[in-house]
Amino acid sequence: MNYYGKYPDKLGKFGEFGGMFAPEILMPALTELTEAFNKYGVDENFSKEFYQILKDYSGRPTPLYYAGRLSENIGCKVYLKREDLNHGGAHKINNVIGQALLAKKMGKTKLVAETGAGQHGFATAIAGAYFGMPTKVFMGQIDIKRQAYNVNRMKLLGAEVIPVKSGSRTLKDAVNEGLRYWISNVHNTHYLMGSVVGPHPYPLMVREFQRVIGRETKRQILELEKRLPTAIISCIGGGSNAIGISYDFIEDKEVHLIGVEAAGEGRNTDKHSIALGKGRKGVLHGAMQFLLQNEFGNIMETYSVSAGLDYPGVGPEHCFLKTIDRLKVSDATDKEALNAFKKLSLLEGIIPALESSHALAYLIRNKDKFRKEDIVIINLSGSGSKDLDIIKKYVKDTIK
Amino acid sequence: MPFLVAGDPSLEKFKELCVAIEPFCDILEIGIPFSDPIADGPTIQEANVRAFKAGITTTRALEGIKDIRSKTEKPIIILTYYNILIQGAQTIEESLDKTFKNLKQNGVDGILIGDLPIEEADLALKVCEKYDICLIFLIAPSTTEERLEKILKSARGFLYLIAVMGITGARSRVAQITKDTIQRMKEKTEEILPIFVGFGISSPEHASTIINAGADGIIIGSAMVNIITKNLSDFVEMKSEMVKFVSSIKNAMMALQKHNSRS
Ligand SMILES: Cc1ncc(COP(=O)(O)O)c(C=O)c1O
Repeated sequence: MNYYGKYPDKLGKFGEFGGMFAPEILMPALTELTEAFNKYGVDENFSKEFYQILKDYSGRPTPLYYAGRLSENIGCKVYLKREDLNHGGAHKINNVIGQALLAKKMGKTKLVAETGAGQHGFATAIAGAYFGMPTKVFMGQIDIKRQAYNVNRMKLLGAEVIPVKSGSRTLKDAVNEGLRYWISNVHNTHYLMGSVVGPHPYPLMVREFQRVIGRETKRQILELEKRLPTAIISCIGGGSNAIGISYDFIEDKEVHLIGVEAAGEGRNTDKHSIALGKGRKGVLHGAMQFLLQNEFGNIMETYSVSAGLDYPGVGPEHCFLKTIDRLKVSDATDKEALNAFKKLSLLEGIIPALESSHALAYLIRNKDKFRKEDIVIINLSGSGSKDLDIIKKYVKDTIK
Repeated sequence: MPFLVAGDPSLEKFKELCVAIEPFCDILEIGIPFSDPIADGPTIQEANVRAFKAGITTTRALEGIKDIRSKTEKPIIILTYYNILIQGAQTIEESLDKTFKNLKQNGVDGILIGDLPIEEADLALKVCEKYDICLIFLIAPSTTEERLEKILKSARGFLYLIAVMGITGARSRVAQITKDTIQRMKEKTEEILPIFVGFGISSPEHASTIINAGADGIIIGSAMVNIITKNLSDFVEMKSEMVKFVSSIKNAMMALQKHNSRS
């Protein structure tokens, strides 16, 4: 398979997905950002500086951990890529350090971001403090309520959390407000997109900053097992942890790449976030992608117990990888995720993020498909400490 | 040129408002609501929400436009977002074809797409040509000369100059950047396309200032919608205040015209 170096093209297209469907006012800023990324993205000093910060400050490389008891329980070799051990408790730090460093080089002095779970907002607040850049984080009012822990953490780091009251008051509306703010402040502000979504160059740039996960994973699994994994399973919200761990395996066609979306209360209810699996092509937040939308093209409200997966769209590269059959797309319900959450906590002493629990839930449901000698890598994208309030609510009536 | 959102505050009232202000405008600009209008400020977002609550759909909006078409000869321009236009068939191309055919049949003369820059406009330009609808482009103070040239090659009707570096919303005065941008853009576009200026205009004084700076027309959106928002409980008052407002703008424009033709 011949994939590397071809996507996205100069206009930011992954096949027919992606692109730059942005208001005119943002076009010069997006062009400026693309040029800066094209320059620094291949600059060795920039890469060195980037990785040095991730090493010293965030503790990279993160372990690829053989989960013995879980493996026994599942019936194959299960490894966890421990992104939860990053500073900040999630993979989000890789992207924010990369973008903030780039913004700094571009002479921007302020950061603005959207957040759903609060993980990306928290990560952006970390980068803001680290680089001394005042940070504003837009967050849906509903998410502010269900992720109070992260709101407090952002505030402690000096970020300003701005409640978003428009639309469904969740992640997509936080992106709308963040972009609106950026439209009025492009001259000194960098918009720090939290996933591989949005107009070009974001899907490319965020992927490149998150690829550190997959590069490490490949080196680690070859060291540990002397062979490539059978499958890599990640949860998909916007898709940054998934593309981060998967990209460097795309041309290894024997490695199954599996993405798990949030089925909420069930894939046949109207309360889910299965954009890749059930969405229709459309344009939102600057990119052509699969979207959950009504017949007229208005975006639907989505749902998941995990705020980080609660988004009506999905990264354009995942849409493309799905269409060319390189990415297998599945989903897991709230209930399955909560059970997976509990299982990992009990078996391994690791509390996973509810988002990451979706990836685990897929493995638990499909354990019969894997043989004893198969190697499965789960991208444990984040820690579940942020989810404890939610878990408490569900623990009595949901978990078996 | 006034702007209203189709279906705000309801489809019937919206149509009545359009008919009432029609004598005072040169072009009618109508928004087809989208759930996620990223280039719009709170005023127009709220108008969208009101329209959705009142049951607007793209189909109903177009029926409303058809009605208005039967009552006026003036050009009708719609403003929307790309996703609204690419629905209804298997492929994007087929969907665009179907939508634009429909727009034409309902009497639309031009269209402005808030999130479709020239770089992504090839398919839309093709259907616009096929159905003889003007694809109107936005330009901003930040639009570079290189991109302006590209835009001028494809744009039709007029250029919509965004007066400020920001989103829609009424503002209390005309910024220097607006005047400078009008002059800079006018030098490049003279004899190619007229420039209409929008985003933030809220009074006859603004309108005059902008025309004096060299613009060929003005577009008033949020200030119109504010009149709706303010008078939701009294439609008679809403309508009369809106008519008063657009006629005051029209008078200011006429006064300028007289003044300019005399000097
Ligand atoms: C721990 C964790 N995993 C996954 C996600 C989903 O994002 P993405 O699909 O971009 O990795 C989030 C988002 O907030 C998250 O916090």
